[in-house]
Amino acid sequence: MTHAFSELVVGGVLLAPFVTYAVAALAMFLILRPILQLTGFAKLFSHPSIAELSLYVTILGLLTVLF
Amino acid sequence: MSVATALGTSRFAGFPLSSWAFAVRIWIAVVVALYAAFWLQLESASSAAVCVGILAFPTRGQALEKAGYRSFATVIGVVASIAIVGTFSQARDLLLLAFAAWVGLCIYAAGLSDGNRAYAAVLAGYTVAVVAIQQQLDTPLHVFDAGMQRGAAIAVGIAAVAIVNDLLVAPDRHLGLANQLAILHRQVRDLAKSVLRGEPSGGPATATLLRDIASLRSDMGSLATESSGGSTRSAAARSAAVALVAEVHAARVLAALPGSAEPALGDRLRSALEQEGVEETSTAAYAARGAAASVDWASRELLRRDREVREGLAALKSGVRPVHEWRTPYYRSHRLAGEAGVRAGLWMAMVSACLVLSGWALTDVSLTQVAVLIGLGATTPNPRGFTVLGFIVTPIAAITAGVLEFVVLGVTQFPLLAMGLAPFVMGSVLMMTLPNRVLSALGRLNLIFMLVIFGPSNPQIYNPETFLDVSLFVGLAAALLLMAQTLIPPLSDERRRRWLLGAARRELDRLTSRGVPRYGPEEAMFRDAERIRQIAGEGAPTAQVRAILQEAVALFDQAAAIRLCEASLARLAGGPLAALADQARKALATRDVQAIRRAALALHDAAARDALLAASHVMGPA
Repeated sequence: MTHAFSELVVGGVLLAPFVTYAVAALAMFLILRPILQLTGFAKLFSHPSIAELSLYVTILGLLTVLF
Repeated sequence: MSVATALGTSRFAGFPLSSWAFAVRIWIAVVVALYAAFWLQLESASSAAVCVGILAFPTRGQALEKAGYRSFATVIGVVASIAIVGTFSQARDLLLLAFAAWVGLCIYAAGLSDGNRAYAAVLAGYTVAVVAIQQQLDTPLHVFDAGMQRGAAIAVGIAAVAIVNDLLVAPDRHLGLANQLAILHRQVRDLAKSVLRGEPSGGPATATLLRDIASLRSDMGSLATESSGGSTRSAAARSAAVALVAEVHAARVLAALPGSAEPALGDRLRSALEQEGVEETSTAAYAARGAAASVDWASRELLRRDREVREGLAALKSGVRPVHEWRTPYYRSHRLAGEAGVRAGLWMAMVSACLVLSGWALTDVSLTQVAVLIGLGATTPNPRGFTVLGFIVTPIAAITAGVLEFVVLGVTQFPLLAMGLAPFVMGSVLMMTLPNRVLSALGRLNLIFMLVIFGPSNPQIYNPETFLDVSLFVGLAAALLLMAQTLIPPLSDERRRRWLLGAARRELDRLTSRGVPRYGPEEAMFRDAERIRQIAGEGAPTAQVRAILQEAVALFDQAAAIRLCEASLARLAGGPLAALADQARKALATRDVQAIRRAALALHDAAARDALLAASHVMGPA
């Protein structure tokens, strides 16, 4: 079964589904940041920046698969 | 030894390995951005590469912060382009006039802020040139498409920089910032120790110290984007910087007191400053007779500020929330920003008129370049110097782009383009890392201008005529802007300094008549230090500037002392000493030295009586 991707329409302008997912994932990641700070997420990894990038990619992948 | 330290100490071909790592990261980001833009078949693929050049910073946080502001400003710029072109599409002259007014407005907005906020304001200004003027002046219907293409190219550039910086572990800014703050802390302590030796705390030397502390303001803001704990580190850095300014003030207060040069007191305080963690014990016994109370208070204040700096630095290093969360306000001068905005609008209008009268083709390239030079120049202390730099860089960038396009390349395969770009991009980035400010700025501008003139596209058009035309009109832009700036010169440094000093004097006069203050006394001290940074400018001050700085630091001292007194008196409101506090406030408002002294003595005696009473209450039940 093929996953149907629908475009977001803003004032008659069609936005590619990937752009919507990327922006939504960024928004979710920014909301998660205070929780990551509280839980000491950055201290768990030797390279926190790569861990945070991986988390963003995971959220983006999940959004693409689930919605 | 950590990786960052190892990279920082080893050198290759005269440059530290950290600089080489930075150069390699930017080259990879340029190649990735170009590849993605070609793959997505974006019309303005070269904008993605230029975007990487603009976001070329050695640390991750700075690049990400600038990227955020860049995206936001591009959206505003595209909306403004549609509004300007939609309103004046049938009247070219009015359109150019509206564009000049928009550039002026953006330069005014840039003058009210610093760092990447100022950059965002000027970018919103020249985005109109890139989207609405360049190639679209005669086709207004394409403005929306051009805006979307530019937005897409910028998004690709930002993504390339962010991913490459993350994967190749670009260093964090907070380590360098903590070192810089620690060095400044040592300098502030040296100032305090020299005061205790009885040496005068020179105004210009203090001003230079305050300037150096305040100049870290925008870097402290960029820590917030660095990681999930970035906002905490940013708050810690701000706290340390504000406490540093307060420590400078405390040292100067101590210097102003008559009994502070006692050798015993000096030894006691010096050892307290050297042995970190010593409690702020009473120093009254060491002070000269008659000045014991005030010297004791000033000594404890100095040690308290020193402890606050240490706490801020420790919080910055460990990434925990600081004890005090102080803001670092920026000193805004609407008058100076307005003058800069009007001048920028006039320069833009003059150059536009020249280019319209010339009737040449491709003048849109010049117009765009003028907007870029005016915009970026406004974010530097010397706009005319920046135009001169642009004038020098243009032929260098044109030659570099020419060599790259016609000597090195001449191919259509992407891997060869990537390899051909390497020496040119990496060379410019290495130049950016040089300590010399002019050479560093030349490297940054050369990287951006070279990519603009080269304009990588898919397929690459190796047309010498287009290359020569673009190079010529980019050079013409800098020449015309220099002429406009000769006719209407930018605001002189001397006038700017006089105006800022006048503003400091007026503010001091109105200080006690104001209602509830907007900032706490420490935050207001930082704002005054920021104004001193603007007065001092860059480099060593001349004799004339030293006199101005002397007065500026004296005004800083007085304003800070009044604010601290008012904050302390405000705490007494509603208590048993409220009447005395009110009397002291009135004395402060009149600036009558005798009245202030009488009020202070009355408060001191009443406080001593209260302390005795409280002690008897405590001791009573026992």
